[in-house]
Amino acid sequence: MNVMNAYLIPVLLIVLAPFIGGLVYGFDRIVKARMQRRTGPPLLQPFYDFLKLADKRQMMVHSTHAFLGLMHFVSLWFALAVLLLGGDLILVIFLHLLSTSLLILAGYSTRSVFSHLGANRMALSVLAYEPVLIIMAVSVFMINGSFDTSVVYASGEPLLYKMPLAFVALLLVLPIKLKKSPFDVAEAHQEITGGVEIEYSGLFFEAVYTAKWLDYIFCYTLVFLFAGNNILLGAGLIIFTFFYLAALDNSTARVNYKQMLRFSLGVAFTLAFINLLINSLI
Amino acid sequence: MNFYLTGLYFLPLIVGGILLIAPAKISRPLVILSSLVLSVLAFLVFLSVNEPVYFSVPHYVSQLVAGADILMLVFFLWVALQRKSLLVGIMSVVQLAGLLYLLKNMSGGESLQFMVDKLSTFMFLLINIISGIIAVFTLRYIDEEDCSAFRKKFFLALLFWFIGAMNLVVSADNLEYFFLFFELTTLASFLFIGFRKDAVSIQNAVTALWMNQLGGIAILAAIFFIVYNGYGEITFTNLLAHAKAEGILLPLALLSIAALIKGAQLPFSKWLLGAMVAPTPVSALLHSSTMVKIAPFIILRLSPALKDTPVAMVIIGLTGFVFIASAVSALSQDNFKRILAHSTIALLALMIMMGAIGTPVTIVAALVLVLFHGISKCMLFLNAGVLERVFHLKQSSDMDRLGESGPFTSLVMTIGFMSLLLPPFGAFIGKWLSIETLGALATEKKLLGALVIVAVAGGGAVLSLLYFKVIGLLINRTGAQDQIRFEKTGPYYAATIYILLGLVLASVAGLPLLLTYYFAPVASAVNGSAVIVMQEGWNLFVGSMRIPLLPMLIAFFLLPVTILVAMFIRFRHTDRVKEYMCGEKINYSFSSFYFSTDRAIPYFSAAGILFFIALIIVALI
Repeated sequence: MNVMNAYLIPVLLIVLAPFIGGLVYGFDRIVKARMQRRTGPPLLQPFYDFLKLADKRQMMVHSTHAFLGLMHFVSLWFALAVLLLGGDLILVIFLHLLSTSLLILAGYSTRSVFSHLGANRMALSVLAYEPVLIIMAVSVFMINGSFDTSVVYASGEPLLYKMPLAFVALLLVLPIKLKKSPFDVAEAHQEITGGVEIEYSGLFFEAVYTAKWLDYIFCYTLVFLFAGNNILLGAGLIIFTFFYLAALDNSTARVNYKQMLRFSLGVAFTLAFINLLINSLI
Repeated sequence: MNFYLTGLYFLPLIVGGILLIAPAKISRPLVILSSLVLSVLAFLVFLSVNEPVYFSVPHYVSQLVAGADILMLVFFLWVALQRKSLLVGIMSVVQLAGLLYLLKNMSGGESLQFMVDKLSTFMFLLINIISGIIAVFTLRYIDEEDCSAFRKKFFLALLFWFIGAMNLVVSADNLEYFFLFFELTTLASFLFIGFRKDAVSIQNAVTALWMNQLGGIAILAAIFFIVYNGYGEITFTNLLAHAKAEGILLPLALLSIAALIKGAQLPFSKWLLGAMVAPTPVSALLHSSTMVKIAPFIILRLSPALKDTPVAMVIIGLTGFVFIASAVSALSQDNFKRILAHSTIALLALMIMMGAIGTPVTIVAALVLVLFHGISKCMLFLNAGVLERVFHLKQSSDMDRLGESGPFTSLVMTIGFMSLLLPPFGAFIGKWLSIETLGALATEKKLLGALVIVAVAGGGAVLSLLYFKVIGLLINRTGAQDQIRFEKTGPYYAATIYILLGLVLASVAGLPLLLTYYFAPVASAVNGSAVIVMQEGWNLFVGSMRIPLLPMLIAFFLLPVTILVAMFIRFRHTDRVKEYMCGEKINYSFSSFYFSTDRAIPYFSAAGILFFIALIIVALI
């Protein structure tokens, strides 16, 4: 049982991550549609899209750009694997940062206006959410005396009770990370036609598209960290976060990147920071 | 005295003299040969010195040193009059008064003035090998400089004298000697920064002069308090022997201030940033192997005494702040050399912090950072020189076509930036060890530890964004440019860059070996307790710290290798499309984003000043 808990579940989650992420994305689209009193696409629509893309003619701007897109997917999967296997939280955050950086790099590697704008905005988004994640990691360290997430998964006392403000801060920056309204400046279809994604097509777009599903799993795992070994609480937090994100995405309009930075560094960062101060003083 | 050591001290001085008077024709073979000899000597010294070697010089040398001190300060006074700089004048007068007072009142004990230990030999390797490479690079660079033939010779001569002065700085045990050599490096950098003789150069040179003189005053004050408190001899060895003595904190704090100024920590970062106006080899020299590396050297030397004192806590706080502040300041820079300069200041802060924490693992981290930062920064700065001379580029935003016109240069620069950032390069290992050991600090000093971890991790994230921003410019191209043809930059440029590239790559491959046989012995010598490095399965243990090798190895293939492969991979059987422009035809400048963080700089400086005041206050109570 113990061995199963330690390895089987994480490994299953890692292997199935793109599939589960796709389901989450499909369900997300249904929930969003229902909130708007539409029926929405079928649950498996993301996978239908996936199959459709696989059949497309292969096109690219140049190989550097295409390859970086592929590797963004691979390195994000690796970062997720380290997180699920109980690795060092700081390492996980850095790996995630670096995998995002590969996509930013891809955006810069072409001479496409929208791609560049998107990459710039994505870098700004990273700057907006990264400090909160780092403070979260340090708070975890102050509580557990270790950066290892395996310690968090095993802990009987949920982090939520000890760092509630950090959880709120995480909720505030998650829309940035998942490119949800009001903080979807990096993608902003109506404005910059998808940003970095615009120059991808066919198989290479598939990689970038599927990477977004992985990001869902990554973010919900971060949420789950707050529950410790209390799986019920963890499930509750994830469901809550899911509906919160869908509702937020539906009910808000996009802000510009300056407002986003000001909000995340002004409000979310401050909340997380206060939490850290409390954690390190007690 | 060791024969090799004699070579390290006298060879640069003699070579400098010959370069100045001999015809320009022989300077090329002479520089190449002496760089090689110095490197070999440094290596032999590293192998032969295991226990600290003490040696003294005859009494008349001490008088010569005192005379040289005074002569130099008179020269500084002359500079102050000539440049009408009040600050330099004040500093020189204070230094002169202090020195004369000390010479009069100091017991003329026959102490051993020099000590060469493992740390010194570690520094010798860095100083002589890297500076030697820079000297060879300079041969070509200075040829294209717009100045008289004599000044070209003078530049090369100065470079070797600088190497000599650095070799002396890291072997001085007596603080009066240390003061002289410390000020000699100040003098050399003053002459270097003002080399181009235009108004900006002169102004920046004067700034560098008075700031570093302030460091000299701090050393003199430290000497004064050592004498005043009655610890006896004014040597590092004696100071460390009195590590627990009453009133020791003040001299320690003063010497740390000297280090922090040399290391261009806020609010004294201006001198290093101003040094950019000089010819590029000067920047390479100041940033990688000499000058600023005196800062971690002093702190490492003092670390057994500094450890766990309130002074160390303030230094840790200050450097944590400087790390994130200079990372943020770097985001607003466009000038390529200034970007590099800010990242140097940030990494120096980390080295100093690690030295100040002073546990065996942090000492290893500091040494790893000192060495790898030296190699990588030297490579990047020399490339900045190539950009300037061959491609006529200075601003990073103009580099967006470099990937097409200079693929080799952009490849090397990409590797250089990655070596400062990504696993498994040494700089990443250094940062990794830093964050993990700060955790240990955080369990004792909770608040300070937590804040410093946030600063280091946050600053690290900001720096990564910055580096990726530049790498993004370097790999930018259109689909029409699929052919890669490496450009020719001339033998001197190409050879030095190849050597540095080789060093960077060798250091990655040999990291476990280097940790065991190179860093650990030095760290043991610095710390006084053995540092054990061992490999166990997929983990590398440095002391109590675990480095998981498997994620590092995978990360190596996923990140640095990926970026390099991306530059060269060519998919076949895939159709090409033009970039999507919405059917519009617009002129868009493909530069990058900038943050105007300039407004924050005065606040950063003010905070820096507060830290310095705090440093003195905690030393007094």
